[in-house]
Order: sequence, then C-alpha cells, then structure tokens
Amino acid sequence: MSKSLKKTHLYEFHRQTGKMIEFAGFEMPIWYKGIIPEHMAVRNGVGLFDITHMGRTLTTGAKSEAFLNYVTTNDVAALTPLSAHYSNMCNEQGGIKDDFVLSRLEQEKFLIVYNATNRTKDYEWLVKNAQPFNVKVEDASDNIAMFAVQGPNAQATLQKIADLDLSKVERFKCGWTKLAGLEGFVSRTGYTGEDGFEVFVLDARLANPVNTVKVWKAILQAGEEFGIEPCGLGARDTLRLEAGMCLYGNDIDETTTSLEAGLGFVVKLKKDSFIGKEALTKQKAEGIKRKRVGLIMMEKGIPRPQHEVWKDGEKIGYVTSGTFSPLLEKGIAMAYISVQHATEGNKVAVKVREKLTEAQIVKFPFYDPTKYGYGRQK
Amino acid sequence: MMRVLDFEIPDKLYYSKEHEWVRIEGKEAVVGITDYAQKQLHEIVYVELQKVGANIEQFQTMGTVESVKSVSDIFAPVSGRIIKVNDELAESPELLNQDPYGKGWLAGINLKDLSKDLEKLMTAQQYADFIKKMEE
Repeated sequence: MSKSLKKTHLYEFHRQTGKMIEFAGFEMPIWYKGIIPEHMAVRNGVGLFDITHMGRTLTTGAKSEAFLNYVTTNDVAALTPLSAHYSNMCNEQGGIKDDFVLSRLEQEKFLIVYNATNRTKDYEWLVKNAQPFNVKVEDASDNIAMFAVQGPNAQATLQKIADLDLSKVERFKCGWTKLAGLEGFVSRTGYTGEDGFEVFVLDARLANPVNTVKVWKAILQAGEEFGIEPCGLGARDTLRLEAGMCLYGNDIDETTTSLEAGLGFVVKLKKDSFIGKEALTKQKAEGIKRKRVGLIMMEKGIPRPQHEVWKDGEKIGYVTSGTFSPLLEKGIAMAYISVQHATEGNKVAVKVREKLTEAQIVKFPFYDPTKYGYGRQK
Repeated sequence: MMRVLDFEIPDKLYYSKEHEWVRIEGKEAVVGITDYAQKQLHEIVYVELQKVGANIEQFQTMGTVESVKSVSDIFAPVSGRIIKVNDELAESPELLNQDPYGKGWLAGINLKDLSKDLEKLMTAQQYADFIKKMEE
C-alpha cells in the first residue's frame, strides 16, 4: 500500500490483526475477524472501533456559540456544557457540507467531530467563516486519539477503566475522566444505533502512540467477558446502515439538502441567520421533491449504490448505500426516491444487475428498536 | 496439495488468472473459485449463477459472488454448456469460504473444446507462481 497514506496510533495493531484498506487518505482496517462477527458483537455485546481518522476541531472564544449557530443548522444555544448533538453544516443552497457531532466542552469551548473524508474541507470552511466572530479555530485531529465503544455492554466495559461514574452520563452527554489512568474525555454518542461511548485520549501525539495503545488494550481486556471484538470500517458501515444513519459521500453531499436527507430534525429554521437558512426555508415551504428512504429486499439480491429504483415501469430514484444486513440476513438499502412514492410499506423494485428485484419501503432503523439499539427493552 | 503463503492450491486442477479452478472429469468439468479468491472476498453472502442449459464461453461472466461489501463477477474458466449447478449455495453461500474446492463447487460444465481452453489456463505450479508474484 502506498507510503503516503496516513496512519493512526493503532496502525501496528491494525496491520498485525486486520485486513487493511485505504479510506479517506488513511490506511485503516476494514475488518479483523470479519464484518459479520464484528457487527454482531456490537449488536449483542460490545465492539471497539479506532476512529482517530475522523476530524476534530476545537473552537474557543466568547462568540463560539454565535459562530457555530451561524455555520451549523442545529440550535447551539440549547447545548449546555458537557452535552452534544448531531448537526449539519450546509452551503448557501442548503446542500450538506458535512454531518458531525458537536460537543460543548465549556460555555465558550466546543469540539466538532466530523468525517475523515472532509477533514481539510471542514477545517477550511470553519476557519473562513469564523473570521467575523473572532473565535479561535484549532485543528486538534492529530493530537487527540478517538475510539468508539459500542453495544449493550459498552458501559460495563468502559466503566472498568474509567473513574467517572458512567451510569450518570446520559445519551448525548459528556464527561472528563481518567481512562486506564490517562487523561480522557467521553461522550455517550456513536454511529451504530447502539448505546455506547466515544472515547478521546487527550495526550495522544502520533509520534508517541504509547498512551493510545494502552487505553485501546485496556478496553479490549475490560470487554473480554462480554466477547468484545475490535471492529473495522466494514462493520462500522453495516451498523450505521442498519441504524438508518447517513454516510457522507454516499447518502448525503453538497447536492442533497438536510430536508431531502430526512435530517430536518437538526435544522432549526427559527434560529437567526445561518448558512443555508434561506434555501432550506424556501424548500420547506415548497416541499421536497425527493426523499431518503429505507428499502428492505423482499427477494434475494443485494442492493448497491447507483442501483436504480423503479415503480410501475418508471424510474423513481436510486440507491445511495446498500449492503447485506448481518442482523436481518437480507439486502437493505438507502435510496433517494420521488416523494410521491416515498410511503412506508410501498412496494418498489431495485434493479440489481438488470434484474428488477422486489423491495419494500421501511422506516429507520431497519431492526426492531425494542430488541436492538440504544432504546431496546432491557 | 500445494500451499503458497496462506493459500491452498490442489495439484490436479487447472486455474484461471481470475482465480477460478477447473477439475476435468472426462468430457465434463467442475468449476469453482480458488482459496485465494474466497480469502480475498471474505464472508461470501450471495451467489448467483447462470442456469442449467446455459452456454458459456471461456472468460465470459457466468455469475456473480457477493461479500458483505463487494460484488465480483465469476468468469467461466472453460467453454461449454452448464449441466449442473450447486443448489446448496443459495442457502449456504458460506460453503465457498469453508470448502472452496469441495462443497463450495459452483457448476458442472459439458466441455466444448478442452484443448483450446487449456491453452489459456494454468497448472497448479503455474498458478502458485502467479499468486506469489502478485502478492510480492
């Protein structure tokens, strides 16, 4: 593999135990044991992901809140210190520049965690738009390592190495904690649909990966009794798809708006001016023409990106993400289709290699939320 | 049986550059994908093959195999008519991972012109060298 690819602190672990691929300029593991066992470990127990390749930017200053309210779509004023929310940054046309999680560390200090694919673009966009607000925007990506501990046993696993009482950290709340004795930060967030935490190792220079490796190994050891698996990008993708969550570059990009993507819940049109507000307000008033939906295959066949979606002899849209669902053992997809056909329960056909294959429109997540995911009945 | 790196390569089969194998049984052949192919694909979850009776040409698509992440074409290693397909793969595609040269066989083919097909196939030793070179 090309020597110019970036590596995370865990590179040696990944290389020795995983199958490596190129992703967003990084050399990362796609799987260790396999996508299916890793996926199922997260749904049934706990899994550990290295997500250090993602982008992390800190904004500091009295006008941080005003700045972030201007550059993002969600209501930043509603965030109290040590809480987080999912949000979008849009362009003037309402097209999604990126989706990300914003955490309020202190009253005047925020952490934005965004897609690896958009590391440079987002940082430059933030810096450019920060100028009138006089806030400090600092790319912390290379100084902080980041893992996700996900699954119904995530809390029990992580608690063994954290001094903070994690049972007090609610969903989308955060806290400072020691992790295996080292300085850390956790947020009860993730991108798998399951309960879990995202874990930040703060003293984590790439040149000295010792601390990061120590925390990683401590989590693996703590999770042993729950059958923990290190998980690669493959399981990360199948898990987020089953949960109905968008992958930037596939399901959302600058040509899709937050409303079309079904992310209207993070667009607060009542806020003062923010980038994309006019376009989104207009689109909301006029109504969207296409919409992101979930498709589950009724026949054998696995939908893949770019496959066409048909109804009554007419092409009504296309698949943006598709996979074999390890949990449902069926093909599942996200697709953008004409809004008049986007009704739950509606039968459509996906053209899987020239063959029209029956599928049904379903709501997200794809799994039964009383049995799987963070809201499962215990 | 040869072993090259992590890959098994049975002696008496013929191999294509697309990582299919051929076992000759008189005027018929059984075909499948190699251990190398199944290890690259990993976790095979779906197999689709042309039906019995279909005529296939060497190196033309005779089906597809899908892992969780990817779709790959299966290229016919020989020309002829499909006389049987492994129906078990529909329910148990993982057989391709578990036993690529045995229970994971794909199809039986009534050969059209074996000597012509063989010109473009490799012996086990040649395939082993091919894999070694590719993995270098």
